[in-house]
Amino acid sequence: MGIVIAVISGKGGVGKTTTTANIGLGIAQNGKKCVVVDFDIGQRNLDMLLGLENRVVYDMVHVMDEGIHTKQALIKSKMSPNLAFLAASQTKDKSVLDSYKIKKLINSLKKDFEYVILDAPAGIESGYEHTIEFADRAIIVVNPEVSSIRDSDRAIGILDSKSQRVKDGEEVEKYLIINRINPTMVQSGEMLGSSDILEILSIPLIGKIPEDKGIIDASNQGKPIILNETSAAGQAYKRVAARVCGEKVDFVDVETQSGGFMKKIKEMFT
Amino acid sequence: MKTRQYSVKVFEIELTDEAKFIAFFEKNYQFFQNHLIVINGEENKQIQEYLNTKQLKHVFNLTLPKRGADRGTTTPIPPEPAVQKETTKPKEKIQTNLKVLDKLIRSGQELKIDGDLLLLNRVNSGGSIIIKGTLIITQIVDGSIRCDGNFMMLQASHKANIVFHGVEVDNKYLQDKLNRVELINNEIVITPALKETSWV
Repeated sequence: MGIVIAVISGKGGVGKTTTTANIGLGIAQNGKKCVVVDFDIGQRNLDMLLGLENRVVYDMVHVMDEGIHTKQALIKSKMSPNLAFLAASQTKDKSVLDSYKIKKLINSLKKDFEYVILDAPAGIESGYEHTIEFADRAIIVVNPEVSSIRDSDRAIGILDSKSQRVKDGEEVEKYLIINRINPTMVQSGEMLGSSDILEILSIPLIGKIPEDKGIIDASNQGKPIILNETSAAGQAYKRVAARVCGEKVDFVDVETQSGGFMKKIKEMFT
Repeated sequence: MKTRQYSVKVFEIELTDEAKFIAFFEKNYQFFQNHLIVINGEENKQIQEYLNTKQLKHVFNLTLPKRGADRGTTTPIPPEPAVQKETTKPKEKIQTNLKVLDKLIRSGQELKIDGDLLLLNRVNSGGSIIIKGTLIITQIVDGSIRCDGNFMMLQASHKANIVFHGVEVDNKYLQDKLNRVELINNEIVITPALKETSWV
Protein backbone atom coordinates (compact mmCIF):
# COMPACT_ATOMS: atom_id res chain seq x y z
CA MET A 1 0.00 0.00 0.00
CA GLY A 2 1.29 3.41 -0.97
CA ILE A 3 1.81 6.46 1.19
CA VAL A 4 -0.51 9.40 0.70
CA ILE A 5 1.16 12.80 1.02
CA ALA A 6 -0.82 16.03 0.91
CA VAL A 7 1.03 19.19 -0.08
CA ILE A 8 -0.62 22.06 1.76
CA SER A 9 0.05 25.68 2.63
CA GLY A 10 -3.08 27.56 3.61
CA LYS A 11 -2.07 30.65 1.68
CA GLY A 12 -2.08 30.69 -2.09
CA GLY A 13 0.87 31.43 -4.29
CA VAL A 14 3.57 30.06 -2.00
CA GLY A 15 4.57 27.27 -4.38
CA LYS A 16 2.43 24.24 -3.54
CA THR A 17 1.87 23.20 -7.12
CA THR A 18 5.51 23.78 -8.09
CA THR A 19 6.56 21.75 -5.05
CA THR A 20 4.13 18.95 -5.90
CA ALA A 21 5.38 18.75 -9.48
CA ASN A 22 9.04 18.74 -8.49
CA ILE A 23 8.76 16.32 -5.58
CA GLY A 24 6.57 13.99 -7.65
CA LEU A 25 9.13 13.91 -10.43
CA GLY A 26 11.97 13.63 -7.93
CA ILE A 27 10.39 10.59 -6.27
CA ALA A 28 9.87 9.00 -9.70
CA GLN A 29 13.51 9.68 -10.59
CA ASN A 30 14.45 7.86 -7.39
CA GLY A 31 12.86 4.77 -8.89
CA LYS A 32 9.61 4.78 -6.94
CA LYS A 33 6.22 4.62 -8.55
CA CYS A 34 4.52 7.91 -7.92
CA VAL A 35 1.24 9.55 -8.87
CA VAL A 36 0.49 13.25 -8.48
CA VAL A 37 -3.14 14.24 -8.12
CA ASP A 38 -4.42 17.76 -8.59
CA PHE A 39 -7.12 18.42 -5.99
CA ASP A 40 -7.58 22.04 -6.99
CA ILE A 41 -10.85 21.41 -8.82
CA GLY A 42 -11.88 24.36 -10.96
CA GLN A 43 -8.40 25.87 -10.92
CA ARG A 44 -6.11 23.18 -12.12
CA ASN A 45 -2.52 24.11 -12.86
CA LEU A 46 -0.46 21.05 -12.16
CA ASP A 47 -1.01 19.74 -15.70
CA MET A 48 0.75 22.79 -17.09
CA LEU A 49 3.72 22.58 -14.73
CA LEU A 50 4.23 18.96 -15.75
CA GLY A 51 3.85 19.78 -19.43
CA LEU A 52 0.81 17.54 -19.79
CA GLU A 53 -1.98 20.01 -20.50
CA ASN A 54 -2.58 18.75 -24.01
CA ARG A 55 -2.95 15.17 -22.86
CA VAL A 56 -5.75 15.45 -20.35
CA VAL A 57 -8.73 13.45 -21.56
CA TYR A 58 -10.36 12.31 -18.35
CA ASP A 59 -10.04 13.94 -14.95
CA MET A 60 -10.73 12.81 -11.40
CA VAL A 61 -14.38 13.89 -11.54
CA HIS A 62 -14.88 11.55 -14.48
CA VAL A 63 -13.33 8.80 -12.41
CA MET A 64 -15.40 9.54 -9.32
CA ASP A 65 -18.76 10.25 -10.94
CA GLU A 66 -18.88 8.81 -14.43
CA GLY A 67 -17.46 5.37 -14.03
CA ILE A 68 -14.25 5.97 -15.95
CA HIS A 69 -11.56 3.57 -14.82
CA THR A 70 -8.66 5.12 -12.93
CA LYS A 71 -6.16 3.66 -15.37
CA GLN A 72 -7.89 5.43 -18.26
CA ALA A 73 -7.65 8.79 -16.54
CA LEU A 74 -4.03 8.47 -15.40
CA ILE A 75 -1.54 10.19 -17.68
CA LYS A 76 1.99 8.81 -17.93
CA SER A 77 4.68 11.45 -17.87
CA LYS A 78 7.33 11.44 -20.59
CA MET A 79 9.91 12.74 -18.12
CA SER A 80 9.91 9.58 -16.02
CA PRO A 81 8.24 6.21 -16.59
CA ASN A 82 7.48 6.02 -12.87
CA LEU A 83 5.44 9.21 -12.79
CA ALA A 84 1.71 9.38 -13.44
CA PHE A 85 -0.69 12.27 -13.20
CA LEU A 86 -4.39 12.58 -12.46
CA ALA A 87 -5.90 15.91 -13.45
CA ALA A 88 -8.50 17.96 -11.63
CA SER A 89 -11.67 18.94 -13.38
CA GLN A 90 -11.56 22.44 -14.74
CA THR A 91 -15.28 22.78 -15.43
CA LYS A 92 -16.63 21.72 -12.03
CA ASP A 93 -16.00 23.22 -8.61
CA LYS A 94 -15.03 21.87 -5.20
CA SER A 95 -18.59 20.99 -4.24
CA VAL A 96 -18.36 17.78 -6.33
CA LEU A 97 -15.96 16.27 -3.79
CA ASP A 98 -17.30 13.90 -1.21
CA SER A 99 -15.50 11.80 1.38
CA TYR A 100 -16.71 8.39 0.22
CA LYS A 101 -15.71 8.94 -3.43
CA ILE A 102 -12.33 10.35 -2.46
CA LYS A 103 -11.61 7.43 -0.20
CA LYS A 104 -12.41 5.03 -3.02
CA LEU A 105 -10.20 6.93 -5.47
CA ILE A 106 -7.27 7.20 -3.09
CA ASN A 107 -7.49 3.54 -2.12
CA SER A 108 -7.36 2.49 -5.76
CA LEU A 109 -4.31 4.72 -6.33
CA LYS A 110 -2.58 3.37 -3.21
CA LYS A 111 -2.74 -0.13 -4.66
CA ASP A 112 -0.75 0.78 -7.75
CA PHE A 113 1.65 3.44 -6.53
CA GLU A 114 4.18 3.73 -3.73
CA TYR A 115 3.60 7.45 -3.34
CA VAL A 116 0.37 9.34 -3.91
CA ILE A 117 0.98 13.09 -3.84
CA LEU A 118 -2.05 15.36 -3.51
CA ASP A 119 -1.82 18.99 -4.49
CA ALA A 120 -4.18 20.81 -2.15
CA PRO A 121 -6.06 23.94 -3.13
CA ALA A 122 -5.31 27.20 -1.35
CA GLY A 123 -7.53 28.11 1.54
CA ILE A 124 -9.02 26.00 4.31
CA GLU A 125 -12.46 25.29 2.87
CA SER A 126 -14.03 21.99 1.85
CA GLY A 127 -11.56 21.40 -0.99
CA TYR A 128 -8.68 21.57 1.45
CA GLU A 129 -10.44 19.44 4.04
CA HIS A 130 -11.08 16.72 1.47
CA THR A 131 -7.45 16.75 0.38
CA ILE A 132 -6.12 16.18 3.87
CA GLU A 133 -8.85 13.78 4.92
CA PHE A 134 -7.07 10.58 3.89
CA ALA A 135 -3.47 11.77 3.96
CA ASP A 136 -0.82 9.82 5.87
CA ARG A 137 1.67 12.64 5.72
CA ALA A 138 1.56 16.31 4.94
CA ILE A 139 4.17 18.56 3.46
CA ILE A 140 3.58 22.14 4.45
CA VAL A 141 4.97 24.73 2.06
CA VAL A 142 5.71 28.06 3.64
CA ASN A 143 7.36 31.28 2.48
CA PRO A 144 9.51 33.21 4.94
CA GLU A 145 6.88 35.85 5.60
CA VAL A 146 4.41 36.33 8.43
CA SER A 147 1.18 35.95 6.47
CA SER A 148 2.27 32.65 4.96
CA ILE A 149 3.40 31.37 8.35
CA ARG A 150 0.14 32.24 10.03
CA ASP A 151 -1.94 30.64 7.28
CA SER A 152 0.17 27.50 7.41
CA ASP A 153 -0.25 27.43 11.16
CA ARG A 154 -3.99 27.50 10.66
CA ALA A 155 -3.81 24.79 8.00
CA ILE A 156 -1.81 22.56 10.37
CA GLY A 157 -4.40 23.17 13.07
CA ILE A 158 -7.17 21.98 10.76
CA LEU A 159 -5.08 19.02 9.65
CA ASP A 160 -4.65 18.04 13.29
CA SER A 161 -8.37 18.12 13.94
CA LYS A 162 -10.05 16.99 10.73
CA SER A 163 -7.99 14.29 9.08
CA GLN A 164 -9.21 10.70 9.24
CA ARG A 165 -5.90 9.55 10.71
CA VAL A 166 -6.30 11.90 13.65
CA LYS A 167 -9.88 10.77 14.15
CA ASP A 168 -8.58 7.19 14.32
CA GLY A 169 -6.22 8.25 17.09
CA GLU A 170 -3.08 8.32 14.96
CA GLU A 171 -1.04 11.25 13.84
CA VAL A 172 -0.42 12.74 10.44
CA GLU A 173 3.34 13.15 9.94
CA LYS A 174 4.04 16.74 9.07
CA TYR A 175 7.08 18.14 7.33
CA LEU A 176 7.98 21.67 6.46
CA ILE A 177 9.38 23.10 3.24
CA ILE A 178 10.55 26.67 3.40
CA ASN A 179 10.23 27.95 -0.13
CA ARG A 180 11.51 31.10 -1.83
CA ILE A 181 14.34 31.83 0.58
CA ASN A 182 16.29 34.86 -0.48
CA PRO A 183 19.79 34.35 1.00
CA THR A 184 20.82 38.01 0.81
CA MET A 185 17.64 39.16 2.52
CA VAL A 186 18.01 36.54 5.26
CA GLN A 187 21.59 37.64 5.86
CA SER A 188 20.63 41.29 6.07
CA GLY A 189 17.87 40.40 8.52
CA GLU A 190 15.03 41.51 6.25
CA MET A 191 13.69 37.99 5.86
CA LEU A 192 12.73 35.60 8.61
CA GLY A 193 15.35 32.93 9.24
CA SER A 194 14.34 29.30 9.12
CA SER A 195 15.00 28.80 12.83
CA ASP A 196 12.31 31.36 13.65
CA ILE A 197 9.84 29.68 11.33
CA LEU A 198 10.59 26.25 12.78
CA GLU A 199 10.10 27.59 16.28
CA ILE A 200 6.69 29.02 15.42
CA LEU A 201 5.36 26.03 13.50
CA SER A 202 7.31 23.40 15.47
CA ILE A 203 7.27 20.67 12.83
CA PRO A 204 10.37 18.99 11.36
CA LEU A 205 12.05 20.53 8.35
CA ILE A 206 12.32 18.51 5.14
CA GLY A 207 13.81 21.12 2.85
CA LYS A 208 14.79 24.70 2.21
CA ILE A 209 14.32 25.95 -1.34
CA PRO A 210 16.08 29.15 -2.39
CA GLU A 211 14.34 31.64 -4.61
CA ASP A 212 15.13 30.97 -8.24
CA LYS A 213 14.06 33.00 -11.26
CA GLY A 214 14.41 29.86 -13.38
CA ILE A 215 11.23 28.46 -11.78
CA ILE A 216 9.01 30.85 -13.75
CA ASP A 217 10.51 29.74 -17.02
CA ALA A 218 10.41 26.10 -15.95
CA SER A 219 6.68 26.45 -15.22
CA ASN A 220 6.01 28.16 -18.54
CA GLN A 221 7.84 25.41 -20.39
CA GLY A 222 6.21 22.63 -18.43
CA LYS A 223 9.59 21.25 -17.33
CA PRO A 224 9.95 21.12 -13.55
CA ILE A 225 13.07 22.87 -12.23
CA ILE A 226 14.34 19.59 -10.78
CA LEU A 227 15.41 18.64 -14.32
CA ASN A 228 17.80 21.61 -14.34
CA GLU A 229 21.13 20.36 -12.97
CA THR A 230 22.53 23.86 -12.43
CA SER A 231 19.60 25.38 -10.58
CA ALA A 232 19.95 25.76 -6.80
CA ALA A 233 16.20 25.33 -6.37
CA GLY A 234 16.19 22.24 -8.57
CA GLN A 235 18.95 20.65 -6.52
CA ALA A 236 17.13 21.55 -3.32
CA TYR A 237 13.98 19.81 -4.62
CA LYS A 238 16.09 16.79 -5.50
CA ARG A 239 17.28 16.56 -1.89
CA VAL A 240 13.70 16.91 -0.63
CA ALA A 241 12.51 14.11 -2.91
CA ALA A 242 15.31 11.86 -1.64
CA ARG A 243 14.32 12.63 1.96
CA VAL A 244 10.68 11.83 1.20
CA CYS A 245 11.87 8.45 -0.12
CA GLY A 246 13.54 7.86 3.24
CA GLU A 247 17.16 8.62 2.35
CA LYS A 248 19.33 10.55 4.74
CA VAL A 249 20.51 13.68 2.97
CA ASP A 250 22.44 16.39 4.77
CA PHE A 251 20.89 19.82 4.85
CA VAL A 252 22.59 22.40 2.69
CA ASP A 253 22.51 25.84 4.19
CA VAL A 254 20.89 27.72 1.33
CA GLU A 255 20.72 30.85 3.46
CA THR A 256 24.45 31.41 3.56
CA GLN A 257 25.19 30.38 0.01
CA SER A 258 27.05 32.96 -2.03
CA GLY A 259 24.89 36.00 -2.47
CA GLY A 260 25.49 36.52 -6.16
CA PHE A 261 27.64 38.58 -8.42
CA MET A 262 28.38 41.59 -6.19
CA LYS A 263 29.47 39.42 -3.33
CA LYS A 264 31.88 37.50 -5.56
CA ILE A 265 33.41 40.79 -6.72
CA LYS A 266 33.73 41.94 -3.12
CA GLU A 267 35.46 38.69 -2.23
CA MET A 268 37.94 39.20 -5.08
CA PHE A 269 39.06 42.50 -3.61
CA THR A 270 39.30 41.47 0.01
CA MET B 1 -9.69 48.05 96.86
CA LYS B 2 -8.30 49.30 93.58
CA THR B 3 -7.87 46.94 90.69
CA ARG B 4 -6.68 47.29 87.19
CA GLN B 5 -6.70 44.86 84.32
CA TYR B 6 -3.86 44.69 81.83
CA SER B 7 -3.45 42.88 78.62
CA VAL B 8 0.17 41.94 78.48
CA LYS B 9 2.09 40.26 75.73
CA VAL B 10 3.95 37.35 77.13
CA PHE B 11 6.93 35.56 75.71
CA GLU B 12 7.38 32.16 77.20
CA ILE B 13 10.73 30.48 76.94
CA GLU B 14 12.22 27.31 78.28
CA LEU B 15 15.65 27.75 79.75
CA THR B 16 18.05 24.99 78.84
CA ASP B 17 21.27 26.55 77.67
CA GLU B 18 22.48 29.78 79.24
CA ALA B 19 24.79 30.83 76.45
CA LYS B 20 22.17 30.22 73.75
CA PHE B 21 19.63 32.18 75.75
CA ILE B 22 21.90 35.21 76.04
CA ALA B 23 22.96 35.02 72.43
CA PHE B 24 19.34 34.94 71.33
CA PHE B 25 18.37 37.93 73.49
CA GLU B 26 21.46 39.85 72.52
CA LYS B 27 20.22 39.65 68.97
CA ASN B 28 16.51 40.15 69.47
CA TYR B 29 15.99 41.97 72.80
CA GLN B 30 14.37 44.93 71.09
CA PHE B 31 11.42 42.78 70.07
CA PHE B 32 10.66 41.96 73.70
CA GLN B 33 10.71 45.43 75.26
CA ASN B 34 6.91 45.48 75.55
CA HIS B 35 6.66 41.85 76.52
CA LEU B 36 6.68 40.02 79.77
CA ILE B 37 9.18 37.24 79.57
CA VAL B 38 8.27 34.06 81.37
CA ILE B 39 11.20 31.76 81.86
CA ASN B 40 10.54 28.17 82.70
CA GLY B 41 13.42 26.39 84.29
CA GLU B 42 15.85 26.85 87.12
CA GLU B 43 16.23 30.39 88.44
CA ASN B 44 19.45 31.75 87.20
CA LYS B 45 21.22 34.82 88.63
CA GLN B 46 23.28 35.55 85.58
CA ILE B 47 20.27 35.66 83.32
CA GLN B 48 18.33 37.74 85.79
CA GLU B 49 21.13 40.29 85.82
CA TYR B 50 21.41 40.22 82.06
CA LEU B 51 17.70 40.89 81.58
CA ASN B 52 17.87 43.71 84.14
CA THR B 53 20.60 45.44 82.23
CA LYS B 54 18.48 45.22 79.09
CA GLN B 55 15.49 46.48 81.11
CA LEU B 56 13.36 43.51 80.17
CA LYS B 57 10.56 42.58 82.58
CA HIS B 58 10.62 38.94 83.46
CA VAL B 59 9.40 36.29 85.89
CA PHE B 60 10.51 32.77 86.55
CA ASN B 61 8.26 29.74 86.42
CA LEU B 62 4.82 31.19 86.04
CA THR B 63 1.93 29.05 84.92
CA LEU B 64 -0.28 31.09 82.69
CA PRO B 65 -3.99 30.46 82.13
CA LYS B 66 -4.31 29.42 78.50
CA ARG B 67 -7.41 30.54 76.70
CA GLY B 68 -8.44 29.11 73.32
CA ALA B 69 -6.02 27.45 71.03
CA ASP B 70 -3.61 30.22 70.19
CA ARG B 71 -5.53 33.40 70.76
CA GLY B 72 -5.50 35.81 73.70
CA THR B 73 -2.88 37.40 75.87
CA THR B 74 -0.86 34.30 76.44
CA THR B 75 0.03 33.69 72.81
CA PRO B 76 3.69 32.96 72.58
CA ILE B 77 5.18 34.63 69.57
CA PRO B 78 7.54 32.64 67.42
CA PRO B 79 11.04 33.03 68.79
CA GLU B 80 12.84 33.88 65.55
CA PRO B 81 11.70 37.18 64.06
CA ALA B 82 12.92 36.07 60.65
CA VAL B 83 10.48 33.21 60.69
CA GLN B 84 7.74 35.50 61.87
CA LYS B 85 8.18 37.70 58.81
CA GLU B 86 7.75 34.82 56.47
CA THR B 87 4.66 33.45 58.10
CA THR B 88 2.86 36.78 58.10
CA LYS B 89 3.27 37.11 54.33
CA PRO B 90 -0.11 36.73 52.61
CA LYS B 91 -0.28 33.39 50.95
CA GLU B 92 -1.31 32.92 47.30
CA LYS B 93 -4.70 31.46 46.82
CA ILE B 94 -4.01 28.01 45.53
CA GLN B 95 -6.79 26.74 43.34
CA THR B 96 -7.37 23.11 42.69
CA ASN B 97 -8.85 23.14 39.19
CA LEU B 98 -5.48 23.73 37.55
CA LYS B 99 -4.99 22.31 34.09
CA VAL B 100 -1.51 21.69 32.72
CA LEU B 101 -1.21 21.58 28.94
CA ASP B 102 1.73 21.14 26.61
CA LYS B 103 0.03 22.02 23.37
CA LEU B 104 0.93 24.52 20.72
CA ILE B 105 -1.99 26.89 20.23
CA ARG B 106 -1.99 27.43 16.48
CA SER B 107 -3.63 30.14 14.45
CA GLY B 108 -7.39 29.76 14.52
CA GLN B 109 -7.42 27.56 17.59
CA GLU B 110 -9.27 28.80 20.62
CA LEU B 111 -8.85 27.46 24.11
CA LYS B 112 -11.68 28.22 26.53
CA ILE B 113 -11.08 27.27 30.14
CA ASP B 114 -13.05 28.02 33.29
CA GLY B 115 -10.34 27.15 35.79
CA ASP B 116 -6.60 27.84 35.89
CA LEU B 117 -4.12 26.93 33.21
CA LEU B 118 -0.42 26.27 33.03
CA LEU B 119 0.54 26.19 29.36
CA LEU B 120 3.98 24.87 28.52
CA ASN B 121 3.95 25.82 24.84
CA ARG B 122 3.59 28.80 22.55
CA VAL B 123 0.48 30.70 21.55
CA ASN B 124 0.97 31.49 17.88
CA SER B 125 -0.23 34.53 16.04
CA GLY B 126 -3.96 34.11 15.45
CA GLY B 127 -4.44 31.64 18.30
CA SER B 128 -6.42 32.62 21.36
CA ILE B 129 -6.97 31.69 24.98
CA ILE B 130 -10.03 32.71 26.95
CA ILE B 131 -9.73 31.87 30.60
CA LYS B 132 -11.63 32.67 33.78
CA GLY B 133 -8.89 31.64 36.18
CA THR B 134 -5.20 32.28 36.62
CA LEU B 135 -2.97 31.82 33.60
CA ILE B 136 0.70 30.95 33.35
CA ILE B 137 2.37 30.54 29.96
CA THR B 138 6.02 29.56 29.88
CA GLN B 139 6.72 30.32 26.24
CA ILE B 140 6.20 33.30 23.98
CA VAL B 141 2.70 34.55 23.30
CA ASP B 142 2.00 35.94 19.82
CA GLY B 143 -1.76 35.44 19.90
CA SER B 144 -4.56 36.87 21.93
CA ILE B 145 -5.31 36.32 25.60
CA ARG B 146 -8.47 37.07 27.57
CA CYS B 147 -7.91 36.47 31.25
CA ASP B 148 -10.17 37.18 34.23
CA GLY B 149 -8.20 35.35 36.90
CA ASN B 150 -6.21 36.43 39.93
CA PHE B 151 -3.09 36.96 37.92
CA MET B 152 -1.28 35.89 34.81
CA MET B 153 2.36 35.22 34.14
CA LEU B 154 3.50 35.41 30.57
CA GLN B 155 6.02 36.62 28.07
CA ALA B 156 4.42 38.40 25.14
CA SER B 157 5.72 39.60 21.82
CA HIS B 158 4.64 42.82 20.16
CA LYS B 159 2.12 40.82 18.14
CA ALA B 160 0.20 39.69 21.21
CA ASN B 161 -3.13 41.15 22.19
CA ILE B 162 -3.74 40.80 25.89
CA VAL B 163 -6.87 41.74 27.74
CA PHE B 164 -6.91 41.34 31.51
CA HIS B 165 -10.26 41.84 33.27
CA GLY B 166 -11.59 43.66 30.23
CA VAL B 167 -8.67 46.07 29.99
CA GLU B 168 -6.17 45.89 27.19
CA VAL B 169 -2.65 45.50 28.50
CA ASP B 170 -0.13 47.59 26.61
CA ASN B 171 2.36 44.96 25.54
CA LYS B 172 5.30 47.31 25.39
CA TYR B 173 5.56 46.56 29.12
CA LEU B 174 5.48 42.84 28.51
CA GLN B 175 8.33 42.13 26.17
CA ASP B 176 11.39 39.98 26.66
CA LYS B 177 10.75 38.79 30.18
CA LEU B 178 8.30 36.74 32.09
CA ASN B 179 5.84 39.17 33.59
CA ARG B 180 3.35 38.92 36.37
CA VAL B 181 0.17 40.84 35.62
CA GLU B 182 -2.32 41.29 38.45
CA LEU B 183 -5.14 43.53 39.52
CA ILE B 184 -4.38 45.49 42.71
CA ASN B 185 -6.94 48.07 43.86
CA ASN B 186 -8.50 48.19 40.40
CA GLU B 187 -5.17 48.93 38.80
CA ILE B 188 -3.27 46.58 36.58
CA VAL B 189 0.18 46.02 38.03
CA ILE B 190 2.89 44.48 35.87
CA THR B 191 5.93 43.10 37.64
CA PRO B 192 8.71 41.55 35.61
CA ALA B 193 9.91 38.30 37.10
CA LEU B 194 13.33 39.15 38.47
CA LYS B 195 15.02 35.84 38.36
CA GLU B 196 15.31 33.39 35.51
CA THR B 197 12.59 30.91 36.21
CA SER B 198 13.29 27.30 35.54
CA TRP B 199 10.21 25.28 34.81
CA VAL B 200 11.61 21.85 35.27
